[in-house]
Amino acid sequence: METKLLEIINTVLENRTNEKLTSLRPDMNLRYDIGFDSLDLAELTVRIEAEYDIDIFEEGIVNTIGEIFEKLNRK
Amino acid sequence: MDFFLKDSELDLNINWDFLVNDINSTLVYNPYCKSDNYYQVFKCIIISLLIGKEVILLDSDFSDNELINLTGFAEFDGFTQLIEKKNALLLADKSDLIQKIKNTCDEWKITLFTSGTTGMPKKVCHNYKSITRFVKLDEINKDNIWGFAYNPTHMAGIQVFFQALLNGNGIVRLFGLMPISIFKDIDENRITHISATPTFYRMMLPSEDKFPSIIRITSGGEKFNEKTISQLSEIFPNARITNVYASTEAGTLFASENDVFSIKPELMHLIQVVNEELLIHNSLMGSSDLITQDWYNTGDVLEIITENPLKFRFVTRKSDIINVGGYKVNPLEVEEAILSVHGIKDVRVYSKSNSVLGNIICCDVVRDNNQISESSIRTLLQLKIQEYKIPRMIRFVNELSTTRTGKIKRD
Repeated sequence: METKLLEIINTVLENRTNEKLTSLRPDMNLRYDIGFDSLDLAELTVRIEAEYDIDIFEEGIVNTIGEIFEKLNRK
Repeated sequence: MDFFLKDSELDLNINWDFLVNDINSTLVYNPYCKSDNYYQVFKCIIISLLIGKEVILLDSDFSDNELINLTGFAEFDGFTQLIEKKNALLLADKSDLIQKIKNTCDEWKITLFTSGTTGMPKKVCHNYKSITRFVKLDEINKDNIWGFAYNPTHMAGIQVFFQALLNGNGIVRLFGLMPISIFKDIDENRITHISATPTFYRMMLPSEDKFPSIIRITSGGEKFNEKTISQLSEIFPNARITNVYASTEAGTLFASENDVFSIKPELMHLIQVVNEELLIHNSLMGSSDLITQDWYNTGDVLEIITENPLKFRFVTRKSDIINVGGYKVNPLEVEEAILSVHGIKDVRVYSKSNSVLGNIICCDVVRDNNQISESSIRTLLQLKIQEYKIPRMIRFVNELSTTRTGKIKRD
């Protein structure tokens, strides 16, 4: 799952011509560490939903990679 | 203490005296205003008001392609002119500045661009009377401090600017900042008022902090759900939360404290509901080639709660315009830009509902060779259209489906 999520995040980063990540850590903050803005976060939800059929932001914005893992594991 | 504008991103802290001196020493004026520096945009509008000349606001991220389509030019340096009425710029102080702005002549106008119903964005002009129609001037507003959370070249931003300017309030730029900086700015500057899109507020959530200085939160441009409202009430415990209905053509028209809107009696004769659609009389609108008849079809579909007095709820929109976090995107304009990419045979742009932005732009593309990738299309589109108009999901298909509201399936 981690590899797939890394791939999705890198697609979003690449689409905005930002540098790709080599690995993910649970404490990474989507906005402050990865640098996502609202457009990027929106794209992230759509791509995760297309892959895992879950809207990770349905109950409010999540902040960290760890929180995304938690949501995907709960499914 | 008496600041005009603070922008922590650019490390700017401009007080009113500085603004007055800066205006007094300005010798030239360019009606085309395209800058990502909020101070430069605001100063340009103020100078235009003082000399009674048109100001044309252009988004700082318009591509050369968009600029040429909208104005016929990509470069505007040649439009710089010497300020003739030098007397108008000899300001004594802040109150003299505000008084002179209030005496702005009838010839002054402000031009901005809005998503058209077909093709490219359309030009909309307002005069001083129409742009300041909903400004509330009152002694009790004099100590307000505004958190500025809109693009300064868009209608909503202009209205906040005039509300703050004419009341002599301070403005703190919040738009485009990270939530952590927004919270810091609210706290340090004791911001009292914020007007923003629901997306702007959603990006601030969730938060453990509380900001008691905020007394008014206004939101508009897209639907605001109950959950967001209750989360905001916790962060801003002293704030009254208001929804507004506004458009680039007309500005703010109605406000509500929940999702039920009512109309002030003095505006009643300027509003009609025909086939459940809201129609606005053209006297409320800026002038534009979008508006050719007495009544303007807003495309907004209502559910009437009571006829007299008129109370209603907004249900949906008739038009194809897609609302992305408060920005209006015309799918036809995006399709036109994508079709101009070499090797693309056909395209359909549609929206998908999204928990962050309300809606997100997606598209299905028919390509004639496999060299064309999602990132190669995006790179080319970045030269042609603004970032928020670029589809965030591009799907390659053999042929197009017939609807714009397609659902993205798992591969």
